[in-house]
This record gives sequence, C-alpha cells and structure tokens, in this order.
Amino acid sequence: MPQVQDLESAALKEIAEAPSTARLRELEIKYIGKSGLITGQLKQIGSLPPEERKSFGQQVNESKERFQALLETRMEALKENEREEQYQRERIDVTMPGVPARMGREHVLQQAANRIKAVFTGLGFQYLESPDVEEFRYNFEALNYPPNHPAMDDQDTFYISDDLLLKTQATALQGRVYEKVKAGDMSLPLRVFTLGRCYRNEAVDRTHGHTFHQVDAFMIDEGISMADLKGTLGLFARAMFGEDVLVRFRPDFFPFVEPGVDYAISSPKLFGGKWVELGGAGLIHPNILETYGIDSERWSGFAFGLGVERIPMLAFGVDDLRNFLENDLRFLEQFPG
Amino acid sequence: MKFPYSMLLDFVETSLSAEQAGDLLTMAGFELEGIENVNGEPVLDIKVMSNRGDGLSVFGLAREVLAKDSTAKPTELYLNACRRFHSESAPEISNTNPTTSSVQIQTSDCTRYAYRRYYNVQNGLSPSRIQERLSKAGMRPISLLVDLTNYVMLELGQPLHAFDFDKLEGGKIVVRKAAQGEKITTLDGQERELSPHMMMICDAVRPVAIAGVMGGADAEVSPETNSVLLESAHFVNTSVRKTRTALGMSSEASYRFERSVDPGGVVAALERFSQLLAEVPGSASPGETVDVYAGAATPRPIRLRIARSDLLLGMPISEEEALSYLTRLGFRASRTGQGEFEVVAPSWRPDVLREEDVIEELGRVHGYERIPEALPRGSTTLGGPAGYESWKDKVRENAVRLGFNQTISQTLRDLSPLDNPRLARIGPRGINDPEMMWLRNSTLSSLADASRRNGGKNLQLFEMGQIFGHHDGNVVEATSIGFLFQGSIQAESWNSKPPGGSTFFNLKGLIGELAYRTLDGVQFQVPDYLDSRLHPTRQAELLGGQDSIGILGQIDPDVAERAGMPEDTMLAEINLFRAYDHALTNVQVRPISKNPAVRPDIAFLIDKSVPFAKISETLSSAAGDLLEKSWLFDVYEGKGVPDGQHSLAIALQLRKLGGNLTDEEATQVRERVLQALAGLGATPRG
Repeated sequence: MPQVQDLESAALKEIAEAPSTARLRELEIKYIGKSGLITGQLKQIGSLPPEERKSFGQQVNESKERFQALLETRMEALKENEREEQYQRERIDVTMPGVPARMGREHVLQQAANRIKAVFTGLGFQYLESPDVEEFRYNFEALNYPPNHPAMDDQDTFYISDDLLLKTQATALQGRVYEKVKAGDMSLPLRVFTLGRCYRNEAVDRTHGHTFHQVDAFMIDEGISMADLKGTLGLFARAMFGEDVLVRFRPDFFPFVEPGVDYAISSPKLFGGKWVELGGAGLIHPNILETYGIDSERWSGFAFGLGVERIPMLAFGVDDLRNFLENDLRFLEQFPG
Repeated sequence: MKFPYSMLLDFVETSLSAEQAGDLLTMAGFELEGIENVNGEPVLDIKVMSNRGDGLSVFGLAREVLAKDSTAKPTELYLNACRRFHSESAPEISNTNPTTSSVQIQTSDCTRYAYRRYYNVQNGLSPSRIQERLSKAGMRPISLLVDLTNYVMLELGQPLHAFDFDKLEGGKIVVRKAAQGEKITTLDGQERELSPHMMMICDAVRPVAIAGVMGGADAEVSPETNSVLLESAHFVNTSVRKTRTALGMSSEASYRFERSVDPGGVVAALERFSQLLAEVPGSASPGETVDVYAGAATPRPIRLRIARSDLLLGMPISEEEALSYLTRLGFRASRTGQGEFEVVAPSWRPDVLREEDVIEELGRVHGYERIPEALPRGSTTLGGPAGYESWKDKVRENAVRLGFNQTISQTLRDLSPLDNPRLARIGPRGINDPEMMWLRNSTLSSLADASRRNGGKNLQLFEMGQIFGHHDGNVVEATSIGFLFQGSIQAESWNSKPPGGSTFFNLKGLIGELAYRTLDGVQFQVPDYLDSRLHPTRQAELLGGQDSIGILGQIDPDVAERAGMPEDTMLAEINLFRAYDHALTNVQVRPISKNPAVRPDIAFLIDKSVPFAKISETLSSAAGDLLEKSWLFDVYEGKGVPDGQHSLAIALQLRKLGGNLTDEEATQVRERVLQALAGLGATPRG
C-alpha cells in the first residue's frame, strides 16, 4: 500500500516540476503508460489475498485518475505558455513589402470598351464586328454619301484599291446589317452596336491620330424618335460619367442621318461645367432604309457614334491621344482595370 | 467663315451681343468656332456644314438668326437682299439666245452665266470701311474692283470675278472644258497645266479663268483698267471640286461653289456690286447686262405632315409654329389639309429634298434642347456578343488571367524583323511615310515594338487584333493573338529565391493552359515548315485537329539582334479566325471517383531522339482507363547515363471508379507501361 502512495507523491511532484509539455508527455508514459509505474502496480494484484484485491485495484485506479487530472491541468498551463513563446518567436514585421504578384491587365482602351459593351449589352444591343479593310460601298455608298463627297478623297481616306479601304467610321457596319435584313437573315426590330478601329489620313498630334476607335450603335423599330435617341444617349452618358450628366443636341450633318446632330455632355462636376462633344447622331436616313427595302413609314431608327478614346480622355484626364497606342507600361499601369 | 459682327448687324436689328449671336448660330447648326476682337470689333468665325453653302454668307447667317430669334428684325438691306436687289432704275438685262450671245456656254457644268459691263472705271483703292471689313474677315484689300467682288461674296455668298475687258480677245466669253495640253497662269502667278475635265472661262482664243476656282493673269484687272466685264455665274459643285482638287488649289470662290451657291442669286450679286460701286464717287457707270440661264428647275413640292414631325422629333410643334419657321427660312408652305402642308424649298437650299429634311428644319428652329429624353419601347432584344465575338472575349480574358499585360498597337506601321515571312504584306496606296506604309501581318511585330519601348526585360505581354495580308490575289484579314515572354515571371523580391528566366517551356505552359480553357484539344508538334523568326530547333507548331493554328518558340538569335531584343524572348501567335473552328464549345462532365489514388513511378533510360510526345502517347494507351493522369517529374543526363540518352522519371496516378485499386492491379499497369515503352527503346531503371 505505501508503495502506491509513495509512487503517487513522487509522480505528482514530477508533474509540478515539469518545465514543458514535452516533459509532461514523457511523464504520462512513465507513470500511466501501458507499462507505466502506476499502471504496473496492477500486476501485483494476483499475488494479493483475494479480499484485498478489490480495494487495491481501486486504490491504483484512483491514484491514476488523480495523476491524470493534475497532468491535464498542468498541460493546459504549459501549452498556453509555450504558444505565447511561439508567437513571440514568430513575430514578423508586417510593414515589410509583400511578394510582388504578377497579374495581367487589360489595356485602358479595352477597359473603356468593356464598360461601353456592358452598357449596350444591358440595353439589348447585339454586338457585331466588321473588318478594318472594308469595301468602299459599305463605308460610303451604303451610307447615303453622294458621289464625290469630300470624305472619299485619297487625302482623307486610306485606299488599298479602288474598292477597298481602311474603314473611316464604325458606321460601315450598318450597310452589312441592312443587307442581311433585306436578305431575310436578320429581322426587325433590331438593336446593334459595334466597336472598331477606324483610320483617317490625318496629321498626328495630341488630339488627332490616323488610327482611332469608334463605337457605332443603331436601332430600328416602330416609332423611334429623336427623344428615344436623346434618352438612350443620356442613359449611356450617365452610366459612363455619373448620375448628373446632361445631353445636348446641336444640328450637324452626316449623310447617313436625317435629322443629324452632334451630341455633347455636361455635368456640374465634370469638364469644368462645359459642354463636351462626344459624337454624331441622328435618325437613320430614310433613303438608306428604303434602299434596303425597309418601309420608312412604318420603321424608323436612330444611330450614333462615339470615339472610344474620348472616354478615358474625359474620365482620367489623358491629354495626349498618342499615349494610347504606344504601350508604355508606365502609362498603362495607371489604369488598374 | 470669318466676318466682323457689324456686317451681320447690317442685315439684322438685334439686341444680341456677338457672343449671344454666335451661340444662337451654334444651336442652329452653324458652330461658333471662335470670336476675337479685331480693332475694337468682335469678329466671328463660324463653321459651316458641308451641305449648307447658303451659310457661307452674312446674308445667309442673318436668315438663320432671324429664324431662331423672334425678337430680331430684318433691316432694309436684308429685305432688299430678299428682293434680289431688284430696282426699277437698274439697266435692262438681256437674256439672249445662247448661240448668238457674247456668252457661249458649251458645258452643262455651267448652269448660269451672267455679266455686267462697267465703263470708265477708275480702279483705285476701295473705301476704307470696305477695306477694314475685308481685313477683319481675313481677306487682303487689293483694289476697288477686287475688294468689291470679295465684299459682295462675303455678304451674299456669290463669287464674282472682274475681267479687264480690253484684255479679252474677241470681246466674248466662252465657257468650255479645257483642251488637252492647254495651260493657264493663275492670279497667284503659277502656270497650271489643264486636263480635259476642267471647266474654263475663255475669251475667243484662250482660257482666262479656271471656272469657279481662280482667275487668270492674262485678263486680270489692274490700276489701268478702264473697261470691266464682271462675271457672276453658277457652276456645278462637283465639277468645281474635281478641278480644284486635281490642281491642288483652293480659293474662297471654289470653297463656296463646292458647297453649292444659290443659282437664284447670280444677278442679285451684280446688282449689289453696282449699288456699292455707285457709292464710290466718280467711279464708273454700269453698262449692259447679259444673263444666260435656262431657268430654275421647277422645285418639287414636299408633303409635310405635322404628325410625322411630332413622331420623328419626339416633341410637338404646332401648325402655326411650323408655318412661321418655314416662312422665316424662305420656304413656301401652303396648308393642304388638317396638319398637312405642301412645302417648296428655296433655291439656296438644294439639301432639302424630302419630308424628313423639312422636319429637321422645324426641329432646328424650334430647338433641339426642347426634345425630351425618352427610352425606346418595343420588343425586348438579346444584347451582347455571341459566337466568334464572344469566344474572342473569352480568349482575351484568359490571357489576362494568365498574367499577360495587354498592348494595343498601330496596325499601320513600318517593316519589322518580326513580320510574318509567309504572309505577303499589303498597305494603303500612295503612302510614302515609312512609318505607316504597311498593315501589320503579325501581332509579333507590334509586341517587338512594345518590348523595346519597355526595356525588353521581365515582360509578359499579349496583343490581340487584326492582321492583314494578301493571298492568291485576295486581301485577307484575321484576328490574331500574339504573346511575348521575356525574363522573369516574377519581380525581384527580398522574400523569394532568384526567379528563373523565361524558357520555351514557361510559355508553352501558359499557352497550353490558355488552349485548355478555350480550345477543344491542341497539339504542339515539330513544325513541317520552320518559321524564320524563331529559333530553328526551339519552335513548335500549334495544331487544332489537322489545322495549323499558330506557332510557339524562342526568338531566333539573329532576329533578336536585328530587332534589338534579348535572346531569351519567347513568342507565340495564334490565328483566332482559324482556331475558332476548334473552339471549346461543349464540356462533358466525367464522374469523379471517391476511392483513393495509387501513384507508382517509373524511371527509364531512352534515346534523346525519341520525342516525349511519342512516349506520352505510348504510355497513355498502354496504361488504359485506370490512368487518371501522369506527369514527368525528372529529366537527367550525365553521369551514369549513356551518351545520347537521358533518364526520365514519370509519375502515374491511377484510380478506379467505384472500387479500390489493388496493389496487383497497379503493378500490372506499371508493367504494361514499361513493356510498351521498351518498344520505343526504353530500359527501366532502379
């Protein structure tokens, strides 16, 4: 009997003195492991008289339970200390720089294009494309240009051959679409927009380039009016530039619209309160509708154009058009996307 | 068009300031481009639309002001101009038979030719008021006769030309096309060679002016001029335009004729000239007037429906308003029924041809600022891109996700060492600037420029856009995507090991991932034809099915040198137009196994000449369905490996659907694979 008691006090002393959880785990094995000192006492049970066996067994088990209880308490305390030490040991300077990540980025014109596309997609305009090398007839003839119109001059337009040119306006898509309507491959009503690269033989400076990008959007339905055009442009401009943007129309002339206007936007907070011209617009010229067999008494439509470069120029204060196609990453990295 | 504000006030009585009048004209479609103060007077610079030649005169702009501003009043001069300066006291006009007349018109490009003779002219200086106004309008005062022609043109828009009558051979005018090889020395002192399409004003023997463009030096008025023939004519706009562009010249007169001059105002300009000349003391006396004119074509009446106007403009304009606006603009409108008019456009408005044109006039005068904002009603349509356009978006988005920065470059450009040697270039005709003579035939040319601009180090770029060329006599255009990878994939940092440089296999990994996400299976194979831009032993061809859709490789060292790029430049280009035939459109999901995988490795020696693609293919077919995936995890050559061979170690990941794989099964697969590879000459190791 005294053996068990002595053993227990020695064990409890050792637990109290243990400096670490690792030592506690050693003591656990030493005393109450499979062949631990306390557990081992039970082996003697066979050599005891039968009447003592029960109480001896009980004594050993109680001793083991007390050992376990103390061990757990002690374990918890030490664990807490050790975790705290670990935390101190593993301290880092969180103000040091992060490891540079490598992520791709879309070009600022692409970002503008994506925003434009999202707005028109939301308005139910189908997105289509037309080639850069365009047929003369789509770029001019189909758009109600009179023969010998100044815009057709070699000095203004890049010709590949007599019949092929680099498209001067994204509007060139319209004839292709109307042709499909005439052939029955597309039907009315329709809402279409495109975004494309345009070329004009112009001297290059801060605000002019021989290559630029345009959006052209048009729709044909019953009863489409200048008010619908103004409302759609207003919605678009507010989506791009903010809630308090206003739209203004001014008479202008484009062969493919009648009436024709240019439209400008303004907002008390932007552009110094000035009117900023965005592009040309109007009702699709009835001559065009009739050319493609569309009854201009029943159907009317609007069309408008927009310079893609204008968007980042106005929104971010880019003041030199040439930045866009030079791909200096110091410029492009300023537009996170 | 530039003019001093006081000239407008000659025609309009208004309380508007010059700025206000400019803004009003702007909103009428005649944009105020600038306003400056010259010698104490505002000078307006107005941009006139190409279809509104009638706006190239103070009188025409006054009409617009009067239409827009109901408080403005016409002056006596304005009303006179409206009456075409017709006065009882003017000399009688002989509208003679063209065949016997002193004027012979031999071309249909001249629809009206009138002149007035003046005798005992003293061609000194013009009155200082005229000189001042011309100077402010940007025209140099020259002499009384020249200044008055310019002044009348500024006022009324009708170009005039004064000939020294004594210098006209035979005392007659012939309007005809130039003869081949004919020449004329124009007022600017230049001798010009003429072509047979050019319309000339001639005397009995030679050209004395290029019709509507510029006078000739031979019959020019001078201080000695005593007898004058003053021309006022109407020439067809396209003819004048063609002539002046062919000659590469332009004048105030040609600018107006090109944009159409009012044929009805030809004689009025002569009258106004006489009036102004009469104000100069002792100047001259007008003589006979000749006017050869077949008469105006009968204008076609246009039906105007107010309801149609309301519908198209999206704002209501009443019958009374419509009538008032049209009248103020010089249109004749008569009511033909409820909400309907018959409208006749004035002779100075050849641009108004149909109802919509008239409706535009109503809207313009009523004010576009009064149009409300509405949104289209009608059927719902499906918006956005589809098909090819939508797939290209997906390709671009995945390129960005893989870490590439997008560039967007000029397509008109110079030659580049990175141009595609197998696609003949095209370019716009007549362009001599080497910087824009060609359309790019590869996006790699653009990426080479972007690489140079950004230092050629640690770059990962892509460009997606059009490429051009010609093939079998046809112009071809396609969308292409090009990739460039140079230097390290990661920026230098205190916290990472020195990053590895770009290799063929880095870019292959990226392109492979892009292909996996957008294409239905892509093979990289040793190319049948080498691309000379790429390292001859480090390039691959991308195949979609049997179609060649792109290339991938390290830049050729010579090309790198010529292009000023580092040798560790990796390049790839995919023709999206061709690749789209193999676009990933449908994904069929496979069930996933819940059972654990077994991963036996194999290692073997094999000749380096055996392509890995062959090994991989053999391995897959030998392993069968149990092979989930396999990957090459070690390549070794050197000590212990015979020359010409290398040691490859491949992990096989095996898994069964719906049951655990036994060790036995795994061993069987491994043995089958090694056996099959032995057929390629592989000997197992370890």
